[in-house]
Amino acid sequence: MSIRISQRLAVVLGAAAFAAAGAAGAAETPQPSKGGVELQQKAEALRGKTIAWVPVTLGFPLADEWTAVMKQEAEAAGMKLVVRDPGWNATAQLQAVSALIGDKVDVVVVQNPNVQLLAKELKRANENGAFVVQVNMASNHRADAFVGANFIRIGQMLGEEVIKACGKGSGTSGKVQIVQGELTATASLDQMAGLMAALNKDDTIKVVSDQAAGWDANKALDITSSVIQQHPDLCASVGFWGIMQAGAAQAIKAAGKLGKVKIYASGEGSRSDCDMIQQGLFDKFVNYNAKQQGHDIMQTINFLLQSGQKPGSLYIANFSELNWLDKETGKGDACWDLKK
Amino acid sequence: MSVAASPPPRSSVRDAVNDLRYRFSIKLFLSELLSKNWMEPIVPFLLMVALIGYFSATVPNYTSLDNTQQLLRLFAEIGLVSVAMGFVLISGGIDLSVGAIFAVTNLAALILFKSWEWPVWAVALGTLAVGAFIGLINGVLVGYLKARPFLTTLVTLIILRAGFDMVSEKYAPRFAVSDIESDVWDFLGGGTILGIPTNALALLVVLIIGHVYLSRSRYGWHIMAVGSSRKAARHAGIRVERVLLGTYVLSGLLCALAGLFYAARQNSAGSDTGQGWEMQALTAVVLGGISLAGGRGTVWRAAMGAVIVFLLINGFVRLGLEGYLTMAALGAILLVAVGFDVKWAKNRGKAIQKIYVNPTRLELKQAPSIARGSASPYAENDRLSQAEVIGLGQVEGPEDVILDRQDRLYTGTREGWILRFSGPNFEHREVFARMGGRPLGLAFDKDENLVCCNGGMGVYGVTPQGEIFKITDETNRTWGKLNDDSRLRLADDLDIAPDGKIYFSEATIRYEMHSWDMDGIEGRGNGRMICYDPATRTTRTIIKNQRFPNGVCVAHDGQSVLYVSTWLCRILRYWIAGPKKGQLETVVEQLPGYPDNLNRASDGGYWLALAGIRSPAYDLAMRKPDFRLRMVKEIPRDEWLYPGLNNGCVVKLDADCQPVETYWDPTGKLHPTITSMREHKGYLYIGGLENNRIGRIKLPGADPDWTGWESYWGNKQNSRVRPTSGSGISAVS
Repeated sequence: MSIRISQRLAVVLGAAAFAAAGAAGAAETPQPSKGGVELQQKAEALRGKTIAWVPVTLGFPLADEWTAVMKQEAEAAGMKLVVRDPGWNATAQLQAVSALIGDKVDVVVVQNPNVQLLAKELKRANENGAFVVQVNMASNHRADAFVGANFIRIGQMLGEEVIKACGKGSGTSGKVQIVQGELTATASLDQMAGLMAALNKDDTIKVVSDQAAGWDANKALDITSSVIQQHPDLCASVGFWGIMQAGAAQAIKAAGKLGKVKIYASGEGSRSDCDMIQQGLFDKFVNYNAKQQGHDIMQTINFLLQSGQKPGSLYIANFSELNWLDKETGKGDACWDLKK
Repeated sequence: MSVAASPPPRSSVRDAVNDLRYRFSIKLFLSELLSKNWMEPIVPFLLMVALIGYFSATVPNYTSLDNTQQLLRLFAEIGLVSVAMGFVLISGGIDLSVGAIFAVTNLAALILFKSWEWPVWAVALGTLAVGAFIGLINGVLVGYLKARPFLTTLVTLIILRAGFDMVSEKYAPRFAVSDIESDVWDFLGGGTILGIPTNALALLVVLIIGHVYLSRSRYGWHIMAVGSSRKAARHAGIRVERVLLGTYVLSGLLCALAGLFYAARQNSAGSDTGQGWEMQALTAVVLGGISLAGGRGTVWRAAMGAVIVFLLINGFVRLGLEGYLTMAALGAILLVAVGFDVKWAKNRGKAIQKIYVNPTRLELKQAPSIARGSASPYAENDRLSQAEVIGLGQVEGPEDVILDRQDRLYTGTREGWILRFSGPNFEHREVFARMGGRPLGLAFDKDENLVCCNGGMGVYGVTPQGEIFKITDETNRTWGKLNDDSRLRLADDLDIAPDGKIYFSEATIRYEMHSWDMDGIEGRGNGRMICYDPATRTTRTIIKNQRFPNGVCVAHDGQSVLYVSTWLCRILRYWIAGPKKGQLETVVEQLPGYPDNLNRASDGGYWLALAGIRSPAYDLAMRKPDFRLRMVKEIPRDEWLYPGLNNGCVVKLDADCQPVETYWDPTGKLHPTITSMREHKGYLYIGGLENNRIGRIKLPGADPDWTGWESYWGNKQNSRVRPTSGSGISAVS
């Protein structure tokens, strides 16, 4: 996009200069600023670069939106985006990343299903001269940039909200259910750490269930159904991803506990998240805005490619802006619609 | 029976070209190729090669060292799991828990290494022990408690998965943040030896050992046997329970090995570890050609199938196919491939049958006249119609007959017995030896052992006490020939030279006893002459590519071996001593019929049985291989044109093998298909392949003391021998 803008700007400026010169009666060709030319050359240098993008899966608003934004911006900058969809299959994801490194791409962008799976391959990517950008879920390989939510912070935010609703003086049972995602994924590990740090501050809070649903709404539904049966006085259910937590919400709704059990989640802030909030299925929702994240990813790539640094030498954190959505705020422009 | 002389065949360059054209047949090669066992998985093999070829051609750097290493590294674990599944499938079971065992052992390895901080060697042993233990549980349930493997391992799968989830919930986050490291551990996971990733090398070693184990060891054969038929295996004394137990333990071990390498490579226990691998492995091994019904397969097929599945998934991922489409496309391709493979396995036999028969061109010279009353030595007469009858209805198919020094009459029968008739009129019948197979040509050796060519078994001997012993059942294998032709398929007739060497004919190596007539339709040089040397106990093929060599007789002087070629209607002589030693020559080029056994006569000449008489129609058919091929393919068997093997005669030959006189039964009622005759003390005994009796006629003027044994080993050796030099008509190249 930046190229197009600068081109347009140059034309406009040129025309203005021409008009001014015409008015002055001179016939000299107008020259752009030295800086302008250099910037244009820098942007031009991005042309033809290949970005390889391997999320955990496509077919969900989160990765689909990332992909759509990245595609649009990459095309505008003249870069090539290669997308591989492993469809939740870790083995396939590993193979895809492995193959892409072999294809000598310039940037490898991954969403790690867990902290280990891709770590060695990402190291190899760096060694093969490719920059690595890890999206939302990081790995044990620490380079070159992380773009995504600060999940420790999200955990804290959720925890603080849970204490407000179920903590000391709330007159509730203080029973909390936690629906983890994939145990070894950073999004789960970090939210858990942040959440527990917050919850431990209040000794009336009792975590009655803490199970992993592996990002699967069905599994979350199964788990929550039995938790509700065991603990009809459950105060809150906290889920680490909106799509998954929707299953827990359905279980709570089926048990007739909607409104009595507070439901918390974090997620990408797509239209469906707002819908869930409006239907009362989520009480509060931490939004990390995947649309914005898509843009952040591309900005980070732009930066890395122009940085002049060797792949593997940087480790940048590019955290997403977090905001709360509830019945008041969680509507209209607060959520985004999937790019077609 | 009067037969019109067949028209003289034309001889031209075209015929020569045709001879060549039909001698070498691509179909012959193909049919032999197809009947090889290792050709069974040809479809998956080609698919694998095609996939590798396709990706090599379309994906840049696909065959680079780096990419190959990566692929091998990624492949090794699913390869091991597939081999595990293969073993169980071959044993007739199924192990649906392979993926779960893999996941559990992966977790076990990580717990041992990362949490309990065991040394790597102990981790390896511990992990393998966990795998073996789970396999043991499966094995006990399936082998000893007779639980159905499908349900049993399905339950194991569910239990293991649940256990995996429970334990990993506790431990997995710890691995994620663990800092425990070890060089040996990293080498297991990411090292290479001679450029081959460690795990791939382990797979290779497993494949080689597994192949030897399965195809060369007793235990492997037991697995195959149990898989083919559990009942039959039990009847054969195989401890079925133990074999099954062992198989499941082996499966558990292999999965654990995979789990260990995966743990070292990934250091993680994601909840989807090994998820769906049971289906992937199952599809792989079935695709590779291991039968779901058990008893059929090799470790290579398992590995091959696994390579295909792996390459397909990998290829789809590379092509950027969306996740669910990958699985759907994979499923569709596998469905087609499995269907094709099943069809192939089912129809391979038919395909071979379709192209197995390969008629060739065979040109016979004009047959000599057999017209009754003519001057021809072959002229038809009724001299056999007065033959005495021995053992009528008591003997089934006396192909050859022979008498011992005590005047007892021996013959081999269709039941696989050697019968002995004794008494003044041969009224006493006894089963001398139950040999099995199809006893054909007979001879007595110096020690009065009865030596017998047995169609389907080889050359066997029977001592005078009736004890059977094997002489030989294989010869040297022809180098460069696809079909292993070392086994004797259809040893036909034999004779013993003065030095004790046994010369015998093997009529055909392409057909069995029950289908020998197909060899006649083919007319190809499928037979051979073989010599067994008792001094060295070795068997060697001496003359190859003979067209149905049949009767064999060592000449009176012991210098040469005479034998006949049934389809060529010829008598040939192979010199085994003297100046012409090693040479082969044709003695009689055109017989009026199809010669069978050849034996010595008391006057220094020979007796020859003609099993049937040539007909102009069939002589013509033998010059038209395409016609015979069409016949075989297009019309039912009972309408085929066959060589007329129903009515023949006994020919008396002189010392130079020239015909002197004949003995006929033109009605074919008493002696159809005469395949043998034996002179003994002034009588001629006559046998026939399809007959229900043995015949005997008095030979006026024959030496009443002459017996075969005396002629070979006793006081009648070289009786009335005339020089045989220069008797050959033409040398055979």
